[in-house]
Amino acid sequence: MRRILIIDDEEDIREVAALSLEATAGWEIVTASSGADGILAAGNSKPVPDAILMDVMMPEMDGPSTFRLMQQNPELAGIPVLLLTAKVQGVDQRRFAGLGVSGVLFKPFDPLTLADQICEKLDWKD
Amino acid sequence: MNDADDKTASLLASLWQRNIPLVEGRLALLDRAAAAIADGRLTEELREEASHTAHKLAGSLGMYGYDEGTRIAREIEVLLAGDGTPDAARLGTLVAELRRAVFPAA
Repeated sequence: MRRILIIDDEEDIREVAALSLEATAGWEIVTASSGADGILAAGNSKPVPDAILMDVMMPEMDGPSTFRLMQQNPELAGIPVLLLTAKVQGVDQRRFAGLGVSGVLFKPFDPLTLADQICEKLDWKD
Repeated sequence: MNDADDKTASLLASLWQRNIPLVEGRLALLDRAAAAIADGRLTEELREEASHTAHKLAGSLGMYGYDEGTRIAREIEVLLAGDGTPDAARLGTLVAELRRAVFPAA
């Protein structure tokens, strides 16, 4: 069973994403409400998550900053990260893609197809 | 829809019911921002908070099927992020439209 870590400061987004991935794909979900807690959760998760779904705009440490910190940790650097953003401007999309993340997903997402979108971005065949 | 989709849709409807007060609170904050602009007392703090709130609404309403709500919230976010003082009347109109899009029976 795949394990996904969701990092988002908004509780309703975490809840809907978790519900969606558990119910439609049967994946195991771990959540964190900040970048700092997300790094801790990823490190404490045994085994480490198969992927991380992370919000871009978060207070204190945003998604890109959290991603950069994760890349400095050998245990976490190999985990695919998908950024989740409500920004739709092309300049933002290009900036996020240039970070080296595995992909960008957009809010609002469709809860019925979120797992499919993740599989497509990560080239998972399940 | 298969069984998993039905279950997801049902749970999603429950989550929406639980989050209605959160959405109402966010709309009330946008009302406050529109009133503050009309009275000439909009602070930068309230403007930023309102812009951030519109951003959150834009990113969440569509998850529950309120795509028009997301569209209007995005327009509010752009209005609040523009240069100069936002148009109070326009903001008030958009917030009213947003409320009708999300709570049509209210």
